Amino acid sequence: MKRVLVLLLAVGLTAAACGGHKSSAGKKGAVTISNEQGTTWTCGFNPFNSDVNFLSAGTVYEELTFVNGLKSGQTTNWLASSYEWGNANKTLTFTIRKGVKWTDGKPLTAADVLYTFNLIKKYPALDLNASWAVLKSVTQKGDQIVFQFKTPAVPYFYYIADQTPIVPQHVWSKIANPVTYKDSHPIGSGPFKMDRCSPQVIKYTKNGGYWQKGKPTIETIYYPAFTSNDPANQQLASGKAQWGSQFIPNIKSFYLKGNSDNHYWFPPTVNVSVFINQKDPILKDVAVRKAMAYAIDRQKVSEVGEYGYEPASNQTGIVTPTFSSWLDPTLAKQVTYSPAKAIAILKAAGYKQKNGQFYTSDGKPLSFTMINIGGYSDWVASAQLVQEQLKKIGIKVTPENLSSTTYDADNYAGKFQLSYNGNLSGGPAPYYELRQLLYSKNSAPIGQNATTNWERYENPAVDKLIDSYAGTADSAKQHEIVRKLQKVMVDDIPVIPVTEGVDWYQYNTKKLSGWVTEQNPYAQPAAYVYPDWAVVLLNLKPKA
Amino acid sequence: MRFVVRRLGFFLVTLWAAVTLNFLIPRLMPGNAAIAMMSRYKGHVNPQAMHALEIAFGVHNHQSLVSSYFTYLGNIARGHFGVSLTFFPDTVAHQVLQALPWTLALVGITTILAFLLGTLIGLVSGWRRGGALDGVLPPLFVITSAFPYFWLALLAIWLFSLKLGWFPESGGYEVTTTVGWNWTFVSDAFTHSILPALTIIVTAIGGWILTMRNNMITVLTEDYVRMARAKGLKPWRIMWTYAGRNAILPNLVGFAMSLGFVVGGAILVEFVFNYPGVGWMFLQSVENQDYALMQALFLMITVTVLLAILAADVATAILDPRTRERG
Repeated sequence: MKRVLVLLLAVGLTAAACGGHKSSAGKKGAVTISNEQGTTWTCGFNPFNSDVNFLSAGTVYEELTFVNGLKSGQTTNWLASSYEWGNANKTLTFTIRKGVKWTDGKPLTAADVLYTFNLIKKYPALDLNASWAVLKSVTQKGDQIVFQFKTPAVPYFYYIADQTPIVPQHVWSKIANPVTYKDSHPIGSGPFKMDRCSPQVIKYTKNGGYWQKGKPTIETIYYPAFTSNDPANQQLASGKAQWGSQFIPNIKSFYLKGNSDNHYWFPPTVNVSVFINQKDPILKDVAVRKAMAYAIDRQKVSEVGEYGYEPASNQTGIVTPTFSSWLDPTLAKQVTYSPAKAIAILKAAGYKQKNGQFYTSDGKPLSFTMINIGGYSDWVASAQLVQEQLKKIGIKVTPENLSSTTYDADNYAGKFQLSYNGNLSGGPAPYYELRQLLYSKNSAPIGQNATTNWERYENPAVDKLIDSYAGTADSAKQHEIVRKLQKVMVDDIPVIPVTEGVDWYQYNTKKLSGWVTEQNPYAQPAAYVYPDWAVVLLNLKPKA
Repeated sequence: MRFVVRRLGFFLVTLWAAVTLNFLIPRLMPGNAAIAMMSRYKGHVNPQAMHALEIAFGVHNHQSLVSSYFTYLGNIARGHFGVSLTFFPDTVAHQVLQALPWTLALVGITTILAFLLGTLIGLVSGWRRGGALDGVLPPLFVITSAFPYFWLALLAIWLFSLKLGWFPESGGYEVTTTVGWNWTFVSDAFTHSILPALTIIVTAIGGWILTMRNNMITVLTEDYVRMARAKGLKPWRIMWTYAGRNAILPNLVGFAMSLGFVVGGAILVEFVFNYPGVGWMFLQSVENQDYALMQALFLMITVTVLLAILAADVATAILDPRTRERG
């Protein structure tokens, strides 16, 4: 019996010795991405399928204009060589770049752009950003495409220009049903072509005829599928993968220590907040919400609950330092950690304290449940800290750690009292997150699904402010509107921002240069952000 | 013959019950597929996309439970499993067929190996009770079987891949190799399977050893074994055909069951090693409320387990005439 075991071991060892363990890091001009998506690849690349579009938008299919979310929406002309607003910000005109070719050799023209927008009009399932909710018409004038909006629509520029990938008419017009179209062999205009795909790994190769001369300098991209975090992190630590986009526990000892080529940067983009249900009979009293905002020690939650990776938020809802230029510093300092002040507010509002616990005037305890995602260990730790901090001022919070599906269903339907939540997508300026949070059209009655205003904050004056932003491209006016929205956040406390959610980003500089850094944030650096990841890949250079 | 017919009837009734439960249970879960997909992409997807997803997935196509049950039965009978929402717009059949070979190769071969090795070790150590082999292997493997799989696998990765560098630490094959029937790929895939395979065998073998050894010891005290010895038969013949043949009977049903569960994949292995297979797909289908995929996988497991049990029943009947008479 022993002999069999020995034999087995021997076979294994020989195979190991002569077999694998080659490293893709050795190949010149190749980059391997390690981004735990919790899924194997379907090998579909349909850019209008929100399940897979991050694999083709940017690299294979391109956008009209690139909008940099880390520089307050700075634009770079891409497939459009210029754009212009007119007619009181109700008309947007793009001039389409000449000399761009699809990878099958046919030229990209304004007709392709027109076709793309008519396609998502015809099939609402493809209209991922609900563009046609605000669009009136799209027409072609020579090499120009003219968008007519129903109302002034400045913030929609981001969705039209940056978030809608342009597809070739000569390919897509032959597809019977673009909604269920897999697009296994995508024909695009981007810097990379999909070379081969299996459920385990996608290989992209350089598009030799790319319109940006001399680019890309990277020859190959390997994008392995990781269903769990640990193997993905090991690939980063071992140097097999050079670009990471995920949470790594103890990053300093696991990733940085002993390797001076490994770096990370986590730029904050959107808040993780306590959403407060505005329709709850007790929580609709602003005094209770304000007391809670004073009672939460955001700094401690950031350091203990989030390993210091996610910085502490402030009550204005402006994510700093990313959007610091929009921040009103006086408002930001208004609500800071002070349990004493929290208790004073509750007492002044007529709540009675008995054995530390606060009660309403008719004897109901201030006791709430807070839903959370049980699978996110950092959120669970953070929610526990919030619970302890609120207990100190006499408000009882019971966290409910749910599966993410149940959690989302409850959020959408408003079936919660408090919700620990960082699931908004934000955008290239603070306006996007504030609009998602505060606009009443994003709300819905309890029991029906709300798109983003899950706390159900409804205020006609705020709606008017949000609408007025859409009508101005003037930066000073936009800043003034956002300042007023910050005041709403501080005065009304619709949600309590606790920490700032970040883009996860780790990179290795041994064989590649040109990475996004804090000093040069030319695009959002997480590999799952599209079309930004293509901009990062276009900037990477193999070291000599 | 009557025995086989009765078993077959039992098989069909169980199958129907399983298929019906398979239909009902997923529908008792909260939420819908569009919400599930939104939660998978924690904020990476514009929340507006949910409306688009609901249209694409046909979430609001209201069909009564009864009529969808019959549609479901009809589709199963014809082998149509529909489109997977997890891997939208790919079909369930295509996805399962892509993952299944990995699972069958890894989990199937290791299950058989663990059974064969375990039974052999148990047989020999039971025969030579108190011998050198009996003193070392059974206790050793019983201890390794008690280790949590997660822990043992991570330890193996740390030691054999990160420290010693003998085996790759994760994946089914190197990302740079192309999948196909060529030597580079096959040897690469084999190298990647060694560590997962060894960890499975080491944790699974103890159970087989222990039961086989204990059965063997009980059987050895039987009169017919003493009779065989008295007749002066050769020891190996007593060990194999007198004791072994009877001692293996209880293990056979257990083996059939575990063969049936092979198609369920090995979710922990797939997680720790990032290894391809259906186990992880299973978890995904549940998390994403992907009824079509879930039902196909459940059905596959149910059918194979039931078939394996049927086969074990028949095999037992052949090996042991007593079951036939009682049946």
